[in-house]
Amino acid sequence: MKKIRICGVGSVLLGDDAVGPYTARWMAANYEFGENVEVEDLGTPGLDLIAYMTGIDVLILIDSVENREPAGTVTVYDKAAITRQRPAVRLDPHAPCITESIFVAELAGDGPEDVLLIGVTGEQMEVGAPLSDSVRKAIPRTVATVLEHVVRNGGSFRRREIPLDSHIWWEEAASSVGV
Amino acid sequence: MAKRITIDPISRIEGHLRIDVEVENGAVSNSWASCTMWRGIENILKGRDPREAWLFTQRFCGVCTTVHAIASVRSVEDALKLEIPLNAQYIRNLILINHGLHDHIVHFYHLSALDYVDILKIPAADPKKTAALAESLTSWPGNSWKTFQAAQDKVKTVAASGQLGIFTNGYWGHPAMKLSPEVNLLAFAHYVQALEYQRKSVQAVAILGSKSPHIQNLTVGGVSNAINLDSLATLNMDRLFMLKKLMDEVKPFVDQVYLPDVCAIAAMYADWFNYGSGVTNYLAAPDLPTDSKNTKFDLVGGYIMDGNLSTVHRFDGFRDKVFVDGVTEETKHAWYKGEEPLQPWKGETDPDYGDWNAEGKYSWVKAPRFQGRPMQVGPLAQILVGYASGDPLTRAHTDKALDLISTIAGHKVGVAQLQSTMGRHVARAIRASMLAELGAKHWQLLVDNIATGDVAIHNSPDFPAGEIEGVGVHEAPRGLLSHWTVIKGGKIDNYQAVVPSTWNGSPRDAKGQHGPYEASLLHNPIADSVRPLEAIRTIHSFDPCMACACHTFDPEGKPVATVKVL
Repeated sequence: MKKIRICGVGSVLLGDDAVGPYTARWMAANYEFGENVEVEDLGTPGLDLIAYMTGIDVLILIDSVENREPAGTVTVYDKAAITRQRPAVRLDPHAPCITESIFVAELAGDGPEDVLLIGVTGEQMEVGAPLSDSVRKAIPRTVATVLEHVVRNGGSFRRREIPLDSHIWWEEAASSVGV
Repeated sequence: MAKRITIDPISRIEGHLRIDVEVENGAVSNSWASCTMWRGIENILKGRDPREAWLFTQRFCGVCTTVHAIASVRSVEDALKLEIPLNAQYIRNLILINHGLHDHIVHFYHLSALDYVDILKIPAADPKKTAALAESLTSWPGNSWKTFQAAQDKVKTVAASGQLGIFTNGYWGHPAMKLSPEVNLLAFAHYVQALEYQRKSVQAVAILGSKSPHIQNLTVGGVSNAINLDSLATLNMDRLFMLKKLMDEVKPFVDQVYLPDVCAIAAMYADWFNYGSGVTNYLAAPDLPTDSKNTKFDLVGGYIMDGNLSTVHRFDGFRDKVFVDGVTEETKHAWYKGEEPLQPWKGETDPDYGDWNAEGKYSWVKAPRFQGRPMQVGPLAQILVGYASGDPLTRAHTDKALDLISTIAGHKVGVAQLQSTMGRHVARAIRASMLAELGAKHWQLLVDNIATGDVAIHNSPDFPAGEIEGVGVHEAPRGLLSHWTVIKGGKIDNYQAVVPSTWNGSPRDAKGQHGPYEASLLHNPIADSVRPLEAIRTIHSFDPCMACACHTFDPEGKPVATVKVL
């Protein structure tokens, strides 16, 4: 059975960049997954993403992206598309480094067989702002896309009859998105 | 004529640290360090409940999560004069120790080692000679010639595929690369092994913090780890022993791999003890308190001025009056309003953005000063303050490392030489070996305290109606971190975080005094201005960490940093 890890990444303090953590928390509160599936809000791990790359078969990342699509567009990038972004000279360990983390994990012979990035095109990254309406509306589609890839990789899930609290603590009025 | 080089992460949102240097006759003659991203995150804390501030501050930075959480709860506890139970103190210390070990291991192997290790020389190495060399250094069981051969095969495979992957932008074949093929292979094999050990430290943090990277077990007044040695749902003997096992595995890696590797590379690049001293005023916080009142510490804090170890002054506690009265921040060369140096409780965060101007404002980082002087913070500051004030633990670990470096180099390397680019790496490795030893100590302190029947984990905070001020201090992996909180009627009225990279990455101040990054670059050699490896070595030695808040992935593949020569 493949081990699947779903990670929401992004800064919860910067508007639409919170879409990864938001979606991961919402999914964990509203679904029960099979034993081989984990869901985590990783924040902005930078190079520390390497620690979450190992010991699994499939990594599904949820993140905000900039790709000239209208805000709220959900795009799936596979490993080849992700690694097209070349790492460059790095001054600090914090710049986003999905590509670099994949390479390092592969080098150790312990990387995931597959990495998928479920990207949501952001609209604004303002400090302290909530998700924009376009991104908030895209969450059901984002969740559906993640679940589709969980199933494709042999994972299972079940909607919780009584959802848990999502703990979207950075948005005081955490609203239901109604998937 | 001087040639200007800009090393600039150019991406739209994630740009953080930019370095500009002027090079004249093969050496740096002038320098600027800039942070290219506006933060102002502190402003969103105003009006919030001080008990939840740590959840927000933990998201300031994705790599330094834990440290901002700790500094935040400490600042509120300081304002309330609230003691925390011994168990809470030890549990927090164990989290900080394991977080620090993770950070230092990743910094050396995965951020910095490839500044000194030339990957493309590895195929020429002899794995058996590499194993013999490794054996001469330590008894680490992971140093068999087969391990080295496997590591070499990995590099050969990557090289043969033509897809250098992570190594695409390394400065391979640079004239400043000096290691033999065997030493390159040794370091690379440990780079791969380090991945496993840094993960163990992350797991150790998660056992106590419920999760990693964002711990969930803090509260103002203590921790939320219910202790019941017989209950499955709480911090019990099983979990404590899982934690011990992980720490027992990481310690030998630090003592027998990380520290000896740093000493060997330092000895083989001994010329890097001559560059990068920069600002030689040092500031460190005391940390790892061993009592509820924060009066006894296992890590020494204090300051040293002008590189003179005999000037050392020790701090008594987190809120030492000399420290609190000495700190100001100013904005003459930073994109903020206001000119006067302000004490952090009075601090303002009002942006005033303009073009990058070498003579005027050029950074989003304010210029913190202590007694009006720029200060270097980080493991080097902590080690020098501990050494100068005669702390036995610091002395033992430092002398051991200096002896090993001297033996390999074939000449004496003393504590004074640590004030350099290479010294910062050595000091960090020394700090890691101290942390590994202290981890075992604090685990035992926790277990012994629980054995007395004490299961207290939390003292309730009680907010007065008036105004109170607190400072939360932590000696983080990158150095002294302080969170300054003003609370009015139970709500946050002002919040300022003076972070290690603000001290080290500071721009000039009103008197024109350089910050530590800037000063450390002066007189660095630059052999090839298109590939300024030497400047990168010096900057990396600080473990830089700029505002790292945003994480948007750019699928169009812009490089993270470029080098531009004007």
